[in-house]
Amino acid sequence: MADKFLKRENLGRLIDSVRNGGARFVAPAIDARQAVYRAISGADEVTWDYILPRNSFKDYLFPQTEVVAEYSIGEGGVEIRGRELSPKDTVVFGSRPCEAASLASLRSVFTWDSVDEFYTAREDKTTVVTVACTNGDEACFCTTVGLSPESVAGSDVMLRETADGDFSVTAITGRGRGFLSAHSAAFEDSGSGSAQKPLFVPEKIEGVDISRIKERLARKEHYDDPVWAGLTRKCIGCGACTFVCPTCHCFDIIDEGTAFEGERRKNWDACQFDSFTLHASGHNPRDAQFKRWRNRFMCKFNFYPNKFNSRGCVGCGRCIRVCPVRLDITEVMEEMSR
Amino acid sequence: MNNLYLPHLATIEDIYEEAPDVRSFRLVFKDERLRDTFDFKAGQFALYSAFGLGESTFCIASPPTRKGYVQCTFRRTGRVTGGLAEMSIGDVIGFRGPYGNHFPVDDWKGRNMVFIAGGIGLPPVRSLIWNVLDRREDFGNITIVYGARTAADLVYKNELKHWAGMGDVRVVETVDPGGETPDWKGKIGFVPTVLEEAAPSSKDAVAVTCGPPIMIKFVINALGKLGFADGSIYTTLENRMKCGIGKCGRCNVGDIYICKEGPVYTAAEVKRMYNDF
Amino acid sequence: MENAVREKAKGLLTSGEVKVVIGWGWNRNGTRTTPVFITRPEDAGRLVWNPLCVNNLSVYLTRKFKDIQALGRPAIVAKGCDIKNIAVLVSEAQVKREDVYIIGVTCDGVVYRQELWKGELTPNIMPTKCHNCDVRNPHIADCVIGDRSGFVPPEAPAGMVFDRIKALDAKESAQRWEFWIKEFSRCVKCYACRQVCSLCYCERCITEKNMPQWIETSAHPRGNLSWNLTRAMHLAGRCTFCGECERACPVNIPLNLVNQKLITVVKDAFDYRSGYDASAHPPMIVFSPEDKENFIK
Repeated sequence: MADKFLKRENLGRLIDSVRNGGARFVAPAIDARQAVYRAISGADEVTWDYILPRNSFKDYLFPQTEVVAEYSIGEGGVEIRGRELSPKDTVVFGSRPCEAASLASLRSVFTWDSVDEFYTAREDKTTVVTVACTNGDEACFCTTVGLSPESVAGSDVMLRETADGDFSVTAITGRGRGFLSAHSAAFEDSGSGSAQKPLFVPEKIEGVDISRIKERLARKEHYDDPVWAGLTRKCIGCGACTFVCPTCHCFDIIDEGTAFEGERRKNWDACQFDSFTLHASGHNPRDAQFKRWRNRFMCKFNFYPNKFNSRGCVGCGRCIRVCPVRLDITEVMEEMSR
Repeated sequence: MNNLYLPHLATIEDIYEEAPDVRSFRLVFKDERLRDTFDFKAGQFALYSAFGLGESTFCIASPPTRKGYVQCTFRRTGRVTGGLAEMSIGDVIGFRGPYGNHFPVDDWKGRNMVFIAGGIGLPPVRSLIWNVLDRREDFGNITIVYGARTAADLVYKNELKHWAGMGDVRVVETVDPGGETPDWKGKIGFVPTVLEEAAPSSKDAVAVTCGPPIMIKFVINALGKLGFADGSIYTTLENRMKCGIGKCGRCNVGDIYICKEGPVYTAAEVKRMYNDF
Repeated sequence: MENAVREKAKGLLTSGEVKVVIGWGWNRNGTRTTPVFITRPEDAGRLVWNPLCVNNLSVYLTRKFKDIQALGRPAIVAKGCDIKNIAVLVSEAQVKREDVYIIGVTCDGVVYRQELWKGELTPNIMPTKCHNCDVRNPHIADCVIGDRSGFVPPEAPAGMVFDRIKALDAKESAQRWEFWIKEFSRCVKCYACRQVCSLCYCERCITEKNMPQWIETSAHPRGNLSWNLTRAMHLAGRCTFCGECERACPVNIPLNLVNQKLITVVKDAFDYRSGYDASAHPPMIVFSPEDKENFIK
């Protein structure tokens, strides 16, 4: 049951209300012919014509590059100062259900043992406003991994489009209810009574069985199965799939600067790069691309569920769309379901 | 804000040349309170930083029974270790740790100890050796089998001499064929073979090994032949790490995060792992 | 024509002349093409040939792909533009000409963005390279499949990429700088441009060399600029304008502009075009007394 209604032409009012409250409003906007999550200042920047933004909104929770400390070396000796983070309240508007579901996954990694506040401080200040999917493409496969175009996990507020182009609004969490009341002027109490626009429901891929995949991956013998090398032979070893993936979280820690001052940064890294696991001795535990690809697949369907008790793949399909050689993870899932 | 990535500062109090391109630092924390409160266990590791160059992971090579300082030993190979190698006494580096699990020394009371190491694999074992020697009465016979590619590459040469002279420690040193010098008095041969020849008894014994991955595999086989059960063989798997705290995603062997659940494992655990190290 | 490719592949595999045929096949839904590696004659039917066969498969001939090399002598299905890259690989001693069997396919053009494909090849969905293509009939091959194309490329290269270069050249250098900083600012350092490029075959790329750190690995404007410009310079005189880097780029950086601009510069300075002659060496790696010195000021 909808709590409120949002008229499409009132998006500007909502943006103003959020921004006047000192918060950042992030929504899909067109940049270089793609829909991209971006901090925006007005409704005219927002695009409605998208399936999923090119980037995952993890950009706003776990930036590509981020300073964690600064050092300086001078006459007074060495000094190191940790970066104090005081993130702005952020509203991510126009998220999709698949992507919202990835929040719990990222959180599970960044908090499973020690708590990485560079992540949690941002997530704690983020309100996710999801729009249920009324369009999609052949790369979408949320239904195959147990999600749907209107699943609510991870969302604070859920919008459903009506046939006349407006939205019914449902608060999912306490934060969502707070959001609706804080910006009540942007919402209506009742809608036009127009029906909900039909959802885009991707067909469940018949040959994929997630529990079979988990079973197969849990057996040690699968590791040396030649099927891996065959399936992933065409992989060229770029990191595009990992960088657009909402649950990929690997990073590097590097120093940048001079001998006198500089920064320590956390930078996105990718398990697909050959130097990722290279030892100083020259030994490399994952010395072939199929091993690196196998690791990424294992991460999604074995490590995340087993170790972090969360989902590794949300079926957003970004990795499929972005792959230069069209290595389709669902084709591997199908093979691994045998 | 609790910043997991913020290192402590530590001053290099002394430097020891161990072997060509291998040196040890004796480190003292700049924060005086930390000097007294800092605690760790044998087998744990840390991240050491040369500011401006980055962080590198190695074990803590000093024993937890010696307080007030920590020692690390590293080989100059890359950017960070290259930077550390240029440093002098009095310079300050970063230290994050201790991280990881440790050798269950307390469970080994009354047992005979066999230590087997190769090359730069001795430092984590050294922490344990001193730990055991500092509690000598708690343990039975002690055997150390240590080898390197050449006689020059052996690290802790003085300490090896010291241990051998203690009377109640058996030290077997070896170098790979061709690595001996004219006055070399130790064995010539690869560590697993020399270990089999030395044949320490597996009765009431615990074996601890560290070295290159390929050596570890063969040492575990050799220990098996000597009658050691997989549960009595311990090793430390030091995969490449960046965060040390289970976030950065690179040290895993299957779903096992070496930095958190490791680096110390029994051979039984190693054999259950995915073939990925 | 597709059948002829399959028959040829089948014959080569049956006779044992090659152990693997590198070509294109369909994805599961039959909507996009994807690289396939055929090792058994009975699988040759998986090979396809159509305007969606956009990947430049020559990347799989480089030494990065050791497991493909381990399969044995390869045959590769290649368009003229792909063959240009093979020619550069041969001239740079990366591949021996006799070690690869080239199944050349005549080509009327490919589709730049596969989502634009509606079943018919029309000029508006073809990339600039196809509009200017002078190798629709493969110029180096062991066999050529398909009817001879009578296409004559325009005298002066034309099309979107050239128009945009002209527009950029007309700008002040400060504006050009601003343009490129903005374009490169989107870079995420995924290195898809490098990985998809058959001429980026270095096993240790300069961006991985960190003593000293030539290129900052952070995806900030400084790191992005130095990566993208360094890569462009390393391809000067070698790049054949196959367009794979721009196609692979997940953030749509117009890499064709910078690469084609350098092709033009090398053409003007050295009268050299890469990819046509497997025995010619790219000008940036040879010294000739005739080299122009007019850039020294």
